[in-house]
Amino acid sequence: MAGRPVTVAIIEDHPVVVDGVSHWIESDPLSRAVVVDSGDDVDAVLSGPGGEADVLLLDLHLGEVVVTDRVADLCGAGHRVVVYSGLEDPETILTVLEAGASAFLSKHEGRQHCVDTIVAVATDRPYVTPSVAGALLSDERAPQLSKRERTALLLWFQSMSKASVAKRMNLSEATVRQYIDRARVKYAKLGRPAPTKTALLARAIEDGLIRADEIGEYRSHAAPPD
Amino acid sequence: MSSEPTVLVAERYAYGATVAAVVIAGFWHVGYDLPMTIANYDVYAHPWAAVLAWLVELAVGAAAAADVLHSGSTHWAWPLAVPLLGVAGLMVLATPDATILQPAGWAWGSIGWVAVILFWQRPFWHLMVFQVLNAAVLGTSMGVLGISDHINVARAIMVLFGAVTMQLAFAFGAPGLHAAARWAARISAARAKATARRAAAEAVAAARAQRYQELHRSTSALLAELAGGADPADPDVRYRCLAGAARLRRLLAETDDVPDPLLHELRAGADVAERRGVVVSLAVVGTVPDLPVDLRRALTEAPIMALSTARGTARVTVVAGDGEVAIGVVADAPEVAITTRPGIRLTQDREGERLWLETVWQAAR
Repeated sequence: MAGRPVTVAIIEDHPVVVDGVSHWIESDPLSRAVVVDSGDDVDAVLSGPGGEADVLLLDLHLGEVVVTDRVADLCGAGHRVVVYSGLEDPETILTVLEAGASAFLSKHEGRQHCVDTIVAVATDRPYVTPSVAGALLSDERAPQLSKRERTALLLWFQSMSKASVAKRMNLSEATVRQYIDRARVKYAKLGRPAPTKTALLARAIEDGLIRADEIGEYRSHAAPPD
Repeated sequence: MSSEPTVLVAERYAYGATVAAVVIAGFWHVGYDLPMTIANYDVYAHPWAAVLAWLVELAVGAAAAADVLHSGSTHWAWPLAVPLLGVAGLMVLATPDATILQPAGWAWGSIGWVAVILFWQRPFWHLMVFQVLNAAVLGTSMGVLGISDHINVARAIMVLFGAVTMQLAFAFGAPGLHAAARWAARISAARAKATARRAAAEAVAAARAQRYQELHRSTSALLAELAGGADPADPDVRYRCLAGAARLRRLLAETDDVPDPLLHELRAGADVAERRGVVVSLAVVGTVPDLPVDLRRALTEAPIMALSTARGTARVTVVAGDGEVAIGVVADAPEVAITTRPGIRLTQDREGERLWLETVWQAAR
């Protein structure tokens, strides 16, 4: 990343987790991101420097409360939200993605994927963690995935490196990444519109991941034109 | 539920007895009463009364028979018993002398058979009361007609008892037949149940024996080697012990009756690994279809081997959907050396310390 590092605010009730995540971010050899704020209350963080952060890292469990229903508000207000949770069942993941969350990190994926996820999300690019790959596979209402996209998601869900997935599929790693990201972007077409989703789709067109007419097709039957 | 065949058999027997009662009454009326009426036509004081008596009894008998054969008992037993006693009255009119006790006076024995049908399936005393009324009509008539001398009284007793005892015996015996049928059916049902239970016990015993054979195959060689001095520190021996333990655990899990047997068996494998301190995560996507035990075993064999030899961490994933079940394991484990059965695809890759193993079953399309 050229220029300044990505700013991150962590909304998390366990100080030890805040420290752990901060440590992952600080130990990134390229110093691509920096933590600007943290706290256990969504509104408190938003009213501080966190309100201006590029990415919000949100734990779904804050104390006794599960804040899944806040995700839609946050995304609607234009925040890029990465949900970080121990609740990694497909329903939870699909719910937060549909509400507009940019990405989902399960707690066991944190170390490996945390910084990459934050950096991708900051530029409105898709980042599919293995847990999200599983959730996308499980969704019966999911947009029609191609056979290759399905296979790539399945192998990625099994959680080896993308290089290994590429080897097994006899493809280049870039192509595998494309299949996985395309599946994610197709999913962004579902449900209520949100600024984060629009940004994701726009960036996907810019990057040549999907064509503009593929989105138009979706709008005609999934959401009323405004 | 269990008494259903019993009831069925008993009902069939009861119906048989009903048909027998109707047939007896019918034959008696057509085969005896009719010839007697014709033969004694000149004997009767009022032949029309005898003919009318025959016709009334026929009508009552036919109505009662139709009802009893259709619904098992008669609905209008006593209302129909009145015209039947009227037959006795007509008989007195037709034979107002000593001929009342001759074959010309056929009604005394005959109406009792119709009454048997009439009071079918009703308490026995109904029929008794009717027979008493029948005897009362005869006795009263004999008194009025002045033929109550010794000989005629003896004759009357003979006539009445000859028929009535048979009728009562038949009516009394029919429910006994019913009970016997019920009893027989119950015994046969009990025998069928015992046979089924024995078959089930034998099947369970056979499955148990087979399981024992499998346990024996998978562990006895290893145990014999250990007993014979094999070194437990030898990595190969340790590897086989770990795999054997995981297989034993799965064999035990296979017989549990649980909603998701495949996942249950995988969890059993994960459990063994976790006890050794391996951090195992299991993620499932989709609904696993019901697979027979041999397929499940072939699908889980390699993943469980990998789990049982994992050193620190293992991620197990199950993806089901589109007629396909894929089990993936990523673990720091050595490669698994097994051959899979046809229909199960096993793929293994290695990336540094990590093994990536996948077994896939696809439904025939």
